[in-house]
Amino acid sequence: MKNIIFVIFLVLCIFSSPAFAAVGCTLNDPDRDVKRLFPESTGYRTDFISIKEIGGGALFQKIEQELNDKLDTVYETIDVPYSFYDVLKGKDVIGHIHGVNQKGKYGGMQLILATDLKGKILDFYYQKMSSPEASKFMDKNFTKQFIGLTLEDFLKGNLKMSDPSKANHEDFLATLRGLKKNLILLKELKLNSESQTKKEVIK
Amino acid sequence: MSRLIKVLLFSVFFSLCFLQVVLATESLFYKEMNLIGGYSSRDHWIDKGNMMNSSLGFEYYGKFSNDYGDFLTADLQMRVAYDSTKNSHDAWGVEIHNAWLEYRLMQPVKLRLGHFDVPFGLEPVVDTHATLLQTLAENNIGFKQDWGTEFRGSLPLFDYELALQLGSGMSVRRKDGSFLASARIGTPTGRNLQGGLSLLYGEVLDTEGMSTFPKNELSSDKAVTKKRVGLDGEYLFGSYLFKGEVAYGKNDSNRVLGYLAEIDYTLPKYQNCQLELQFQSWINDLSRKSSDDSTLTAGVSYRLSQNKTLRAAFSHELNNSGQKEEDKFLVQFYYFGL
Repeated sequence: MKNIIFVIFLVLCIFSSPAFAAVGCTLNDPDRDVKRLFPESTGYRTDFISIKEIGGGALFQKIEQELNDKLDTVYETIDVPYSFYDVLKGKDVIGHIHGVNQKGKYGGMQLILATDLKGKILDFYYQKMSSPEASKFMDKNFTKQFIGLTLEDFLKGNLKMSDPSKANHEDFLATLRGLKKNLILLKELKLNSESQTKKEVIK
Repeated sequence: MSRLIKVLLFSVFFSLCFLQVVLATESLFYKEMNLIGGYSSRDHWIDKGNMMNSSLGFEYYGKFSNDYGDFLTADLQMRVAYDSTKNSHDAWGVEIHNAWLEYRLMQPVKLRLGHFDVPFGLEPVVDTHATLLQTLAENNIGFKQDWGTEFRGSLPLFDYELALQLGSGMSVRRKDGSFLASARIGTPTGRNLQGGLSLLYGEVLDTEGMSTFPKNELSSDKAVTKKRVGLDGEYLFGSYLFKGEVAYGKNDSNRVLGYLAEIDYTLPKYQNCQLELQFQSWINDLSRKSSDDSTLTAGVSYRLSQNKTLRAAFSHELNNSGQKEEDKFLVQFYYFGL
């Protein structure tokens, strides 16, 4: 009898508490990755933020408009909590790291961006890449071409890099979509809410 | 001992509440439901897998930080499980899977305390807590997770884990001097080709069942002396993910050997769907003929939505050292999220 009461209690606890969908792309090893991307850093702080939490359906639609594409109904839903890493030097934030999952031709890919405080790309790498030509995409000669770009460059089409693969153009296009999505999410979920907080503090 | 466990659990619970209130924290709370059923040529209609019952549970994952960044991570994953093969009084059980706190001592060193994966072989690098296909861990060590403490971290060229645990698996108990010391070094996770080398030594208790409360059953009061060395690897190539591991060593005076090979294939056109094929064999005594437990399993996994997955698997035992070979078909509905 005690067991049954315990189970009922537990079930009630479970279904009365808030919940999130499975988390978006996280760094495999934040300690190593943050230090590698920002050698001067002394620490980092993790933030889980979903579109639902920040702006709901209206923001979801705005993101789709900026992306100029529909978000996937399985992997890019409104309640996915994205992991943002604020990179710290002492108490000061010196940059951000954010990753996204992106559907490729053969399977999933994970695209990680390190940016400055305004969202300019400082580094880019694939944490996961399902492609027979993965090594060409993951090569520094390709990924370094994104350094210095901002969301504006993606929105205006100011992209000069060419497809490094021979037969997997879909994966090249998926990479561009994933990086654009990454920068949009960074702006809408992180940078905008940070500047909002700063304004409130000043008031 | 059960009073000690309750005190420990309440301490962890109140510590988390305290940390949650006092310190800046980011947390996620997942709900979990696992429904499993199928047919076995030996037991006919069944409602459990080898290490899995139908269950309801949750996972709490929290990051605690101060002005200088994250310093503590917590994970608590519990399931209330039902085992219909037992009488109604014993059928319900609470399974504690992850229950750990990890403190960041310095950049390459973290200290973990609680219930976590034994750092040996493939198990700590692949997530099998909800999948029908499992690694060698159950045959090799007897369980996937154990209670204890661990130093872990990442250096530029490799990751390392060094653990000392109770040797009891799901339940907190010590008997016959039981303990488990294990270590694994591996290439950094996230590479398309990765591998690891593991070592293990311990006096390990042989238990049956996954329940933490009430405690699962002890098969024997005597601990088994286990010594192991193991290699594991994973390779992602296009839509294919290859996995393999091998473990060699001794159970008391018997020489043992186990190996596993698996291929997962994601359908490019329907990426919600994954096909899996696995062969694993565990030889309980290399000096005895037909002392192996060998199984070939074919599985399919279909993701219905962000939170819901359907899985099915057919397994065929090529040899079973303890009893008649079995064919088994399992279907699973798994929910993790809202």
